[in-house]
Amino acid sequence: MNIPKSLTLAAALVIATTAGAFAQAKKEPLKIAYSDWPGWIAFEVGIQKGWFKEAGVDVKFEWMDYLPSMDAFAGGKVDAVTMTNGDALVTGANGGKSKFILLTDYSNGNDMIVAKPGIKSLKDLKGKKVGLEVTLVEHLLLLKGLEKNGLKQSDITLVPTPTNETPQTLASGQVEAIGAWYPVSQQALKAVPGSKPIWTSADAPGLIYDVLAVSPQSLSARKEDWAKVAKVYYKIVDYLKDPKTKDDAVKIMAAKVKVSPEEFATFLPGTYFLTLAETKARFKKTDGLDSLYGSTAIANKFNVDNAVYKESQKPEDYIDASIIESLK
Amino acid sequence: MKPSPPRDPLGLRSELSPRSQLLLLVLSFILPLALWSAISYLPFLWHPMVRITEPGGVDYFQKGQLVDRQVFSEESAKAVSAGLAKPDGHRANPVYLPAPHEVARALVTAFQTPPRLPTEPWLHQSLWHSVTIIFWGFTLSSLVGLPLGILCGSFRAVSRTTEPFIEFFRYLPAPAFGALCVAVLGIYDAPKIAIIFIGTFFQQVLVIANTVRKVDPALLEAAQTMGASPKQLVTRVIIPASITDVYTDMRILLGWAWTYLIVAEFIGTSSGITYFINQQGRYRNFDNVFAAIMMIGIIGLASDLFLAWLGKQIFPWKGNGRPSILRLFFKALAPDYVK
Repeated sequence: MNIPKSLTLAAALVIATTAGAFAQAKKEPLKIAYSDWPGWIAFEVGIQKGWFKEAGVDVKFEWMDYLPSMDAFAGGKVDAVTMTNGDALVTGANGGKSKFILLTDYSNGNDMIVAKPGIKSLKDLKGKKVGLEVTLVEHLLLLKGLEKNGLKQSDITLVPTPTNETPQTLASGQVEAIGAWYPVSQQALKAVPGSKPIWTSADAPGLIYDVLAVSPQSLSARKEDWAKVAKVYYKIVDYLKDPKTKDDAVKIMAAKVKVSPEEFATFLPGTYFLTLAETKARFKKTDGLDSLYGSTAIANKFNVDNAVYKESQKPEDYIDASIIESLK
Repeated sequence: MKPSPPRDPLGLRSELSPRSQLLLLVLSFILPLALWSAISYLPFLWHPMVRITEPGGVDYFQKGQLVDRQVFSEESAKAVSAGLAKPDGHRANPVYLPAPHEVARALVTAFQTPPRLPTEPWLHQSLWHSVTIIFWGFTLSSLVGLPLGILCGSFRAVSRTTEPFIEFFRYLPAPAFGALCVAVLGIYDAPKIAIIFIGTFFQQVLVIANTVRKVDPALLEAAQTMGASPKQLVTRVIIPASITDVYTDMRILLGWAWTYLIVAEFIGTSSGITYFINQQGRYRNFDNVFAAIMMIGIIGLASDLFLAWLGKQIFPWKGNGRPSILRLFFKALAPDYVK
C-alpha cells in the first residue's frame, strides 16, 4: 500500500466517522421524563399506538418517579419533563430553566389535603400537623386553602413527608392531615377509614396546571420536532375525550400504573384534560386562574412569600405559546 | 470400650453432631415461619382490624374494607344508638401483614403474570436488571477497593494517606448523592451503579485493610529474616496469609451492596425489582411486596452459597470462616464424604 492511498483511506475514514457522528447527533431522540399523573400517563396512549413515530418524531419517554424526573431535567439529562407550573418555577429558580410548550391538564380535584376523621375543614387544622412535600405543589395548594380560610402558614406545622409515604404517615396518627395527589391520595383515603379530603384542587381549579416543560436549548434547536410532540398530545386528548375510544385509552393508561381500568376511570374527573382549543384559551394573558400566566404568577408569589426560593420568577420567561399558536 | 464423649448439647466446647446441626438449621427457618403463621391464622393472637362484611348504617364503611377494631366498635355503637343497622365484620390482620400462603401464591404468580403493556418488563427481567446493577457496582468497587485495602493494610504510609479521608467519606450517606449522580452520569444504569459503588467502596477498603493487618507478625519477621523484599512480603506472605479472610469479607460486603440497591434504583428511570416493589406498595399489594423482598433474600442467599462453594474450590487449604449452609446440609446427609 503506497502512502497517498493510505492517506486517502484515512481521510475517508475520518470523514465517514464525522459524518456518522453528525447523523448520530441529528438522530438523537428527544428525551422526555414523565411520571405517575393521569395527565402525563396519557402520553402512554401515543407511545403504545405508535403515533409519535407516525408523526415523524423520534421521542424516548423515560418513566420515573416525580422527584427524580425533575432531578434528571435539572441535571440536563432529559430534554423535557412533565411538571406542574408551580414546580417548574421551583426547578427553574434552582437552575433548571424551562419553557412550557403545552398544557396537558389542570388538576380538578386529584390533588388534595386529606384529613383524618374528626377534622372537617382547613380551619380545624389550626395548631395541627400536616405532612406533605414541602415547597412542592401540595404545599401551594394548602397555602391557597389556608388563605381562603383566613389562616396563615404559621398557624400549622408542616412535616416534610415524601408524597409516596403520606398514606403511612397519615395512618400512623402522627399528623392530622397530609397533602398528596392521585394515586397516592386515594391510598391515604383507603389507609385511614373515615378520612376525608377537606380541600382539593377542585376548590381552586387552575391553581395547578400541568405542563410539558422543555429545556430552552432543545426547544430552539428542534422546534419542529416539539411541535410534532405537542400535536400528538392533543390527538391523544381527543382520543380520550371521544366516547367511542375513551375505554381503549383508559385501558392503556391503567395498565401503565397497574390498576384496573374501572378504578382508574373513577379518578379521571379529578384531572381536566385540555383540548388544543381549550389550551389556546389558557395561553391568553390574564391575571386569573383561567390563564396559565395568571396561575403561574400566583404560584410564583406564593413561592417567594414562603421563601421556597428568593428570586421572583417571571411567567413570561417560562411560557412559550408559539407552538400552541402554530397548531391547528 | 471407648469413653463416651462428654455431653455438650449447646456446642460450647465441641462441634455439634451433623444431625443436630441440620436440625437446628431447619429450625432456624421454621421458627420465624411458625410465628408468622400463628399471627396470620390464629385470630385471637393479634388481628387488630375488622374486615367489614356488612356496612350497616355507617356511611363510609364498605364491604371488604379494613378498619381498626376500636373504630369499628365506636361506629357500630353510634349506628345502633342512631337506630341504624349494625355493621358486621370479622377480625383480620392489617393489609401490610399478608399470610404466608398469600405471599407464596404471589411469589409464583408474579413470575407468571405477563406485563400489561408490551413495552414493560416481565418480573424476571426486572430482577435480572437489578442483579446486573449489583454486579457492576460491586465489581467496580472491588477492582479499586480490594488492591487499595490490601495496600492500606500492608503499608502504613498508604494507610495514613488514604484511610482518614475514607473514614470521613464513609459517613456520607450514599443516597445523598442521588441527584448529583444523575447530573453527572445520566438517568440510566450508571448513576445506580455509582450509588452502589459509593455505598460499598469505603467500607470495603477499611474492612479489608483491617483483615490484612491481622496477619501474624511472626510470619512477616520470618520472611524478613530470610531476606524478603517489601514486594515479596506483600505478594508471598501477606496476601496468601489473609486471602481467605479477605474472601470472607468480600462475601459479607456483597450483602452491603444489596442493601443499597433500593436507594440506587430510586434515582433515574424506574427499573429493576425496586420499581416493582414501589409500584406494588403504592397500590397496597403487600403480598407482592413481601414476595419481591423474599426474592431478594433468596438471590442473596443463593449467591452466597455459590461464593462459599467457589471459595472452597479456590482456597482448599483453609475453611472459610463462615459456615456454608449447603455444606452443613450435605454433611448431615453424607457425613463421610464431606469434610
